[in-house]
Amino acid sequence: MQRGFEGVFAELTLGPALSRAELQALCDKHGLPSADAAALSESAERLHVYRDLVRGNLREAIQLSMPRSMARLGPLFDEYFDRFLRERAPRTHYLRDVTPELLAFCAPSWAGDARVASYLGDLARHESLHIEVSALPALPRGHVAAPLTLEQGVELSAALTLVHYRHAVHELPEDEADRSVPAERSVSLLVYRSPEHEVRYLELTPVACGIVERLLSGDSLGGSVQGAAAAAGATLTEAVLVGAAQLLADLAERGVVWGPKISDRDPG
Amino acid sequence: MPRPEPKAVSPSPLDGIGLGLRWDFLEEVVDGPQLPLDFFEVSPENYMRRGGYYPAQLEQLQARYPLVTHGLTLSIGALDEPDAEYLRELRAEIERTKSPFHSDHLCFSSAGGRSLHELLPLQQSRENLRRVGERARRMSDVLGVPFALENITYYLHPGRAELPELEFLSGVLDASGAGLLLDVNNVYVNSLNHGFDARAFIAALDLSRVVELHVAGHTRQASGLLLDTHGAPVADPVLELLGFTLSLTGPRPVLLERDNHIPALSELLREVETLRGIYDAAVRSYHAARV
Repeated sequence: MQRGFEGVFAELTLGPALSRAELQALCDKHGLPSADAAALSESAERLHVYRDLVRGNLREAIQLSMPRSMARLGPLFDEYFDRFLRERAPRTHYLRDVTPELLAFCAPSWAGDARVASYLGDLARHESLHIEVSALPALPRGHVAAPLTLEQGVELSAALTLVHYRHAVHELPEDEADRSVPAERSVSLLVYRSPEHEVRYLELTPVACGIVERLLSGDSLGGSVQGAAAAAGATLTEAVLVGAAQLLADLAERGVVWGPKISDRDPG
Repeated sequence: MPRPEPKAVSPSPLDGIGLGLRWDFLEEVVDGPQLPLDFFEVSPENYMRRGGYYPAQLEQLQARYPLVTHGLTLSIGALDEPDAEYLRELRAEIERTKSPFHSDHLCFSSAGGRSLHELLPLQQSRENLRRVGERARRMSDVLGVPFALENITYYLHPGRAELPELEFLSGVLDASGAGLLLDVNNVYVNSLNHGFDARAFIAALDLSRVVELHVAGHTRQASGLLLDTHGAPVADPVLELLGFTLSLTGPRPVLLERDNHIPALSELLREVETLRGIYDAAVRSYHAARV
């Protein structure tokens, strides 16, 4: 019986608003005995209280993490919010993770929907990342006094992510009323949490991005610099090496680079 | 083979008046002087499986105040077993906060893998009593601390009720050995929405199971339905019901909850002062009646 009630509550709160007759059909679909279905139908108005509560809680959580995207989507947001609730629904215990779930569901559809601005997916992802990165689990910071070497990997803060946009949405004003359109260009952005727990953003050049990507995948420092330069079609000139050294110094200053990869360190 | 007895909750290791910790005033509490509060209650879902500012602040707070965890998304009444990963993370958070016990709500909040993020009422049936009672019995071992259930506000009963709320709640507690987190505002709201005597309901409970009391504000809809919004000061009838309850239970930790329209901390502390007056008078009355 509990399964039947769960089905009714889920469809009623996540699906479209139902008339009393439709509620009766929903109860039948979920196999509720007629007497229980009748009792529920008598409480149809109060069932809608739960519908408002469920949807209100979820909407509020999303509003908190992507207010500018919601404002720009306008009524389209409601259309996609309804679809998300109806076809997928949140799976997470954590309200802060509802927005990433919504975006994972919506992104493919937005890309093919001419009514949704082409940059909207990037903007929503960018907004959502603020809460996501602020909450990323942190690893205990080990001893990092040793200097970096080309042969070793580099220990990076766990509280970061590297994202790629097709639009410079990170340059848009914070104002929710703003409707300016971001420049269309490839952007690689390092989003990280500082030691002071602030979420910060650093736009990376293709070579710098390549280095960070390779370091994140566990390559040695030397291999990362070489690989990134080659991928960008650059030769390993002194300028590239100086640039890499400056990048690492900058990232260390920001608390992103901690030191040589812990697993690569000389145990002696 | 006899079933193992769950870890006993009572007597509660906490006492006095506490406040539900909210991010709106977290920094003020952490950075400010010691407040006249005996404990804070935290929603572990806001701090577990994450890093950053809020867990760091909580760690600082923990050095100055006792903490107790009160969960939101266990969904103990859902048909599916609780999420094992969630339970592992929850246990770790309980250990981190050194919470003396953990509580969640007698309800379901998920359905077939979908998380609804709302406390939904269970059918008050013998089958649910048995099933939820058995699951709640296991929680103290799973979580490593005694476990307690809170009576929720319900705006309707799903389907036919085989049992009245009092019998269902008491039956689940008896079957599980769990403590009772008695939300006095919920009893009041339910009594008006469903037409029963709140004092008689409380007096009929096995009050030796009570490990904590909650109070909060509610609002009235145009239809007359009371909603447990936690968005207003505690109403006078709920304060009176709290005094009545404490005069029966004796000293128990009392928690002020506020989740919406959160006012300045100073205003919440004035409410705490009011609660302390009620608490002191009721506990005096409790002891006087036993001399």
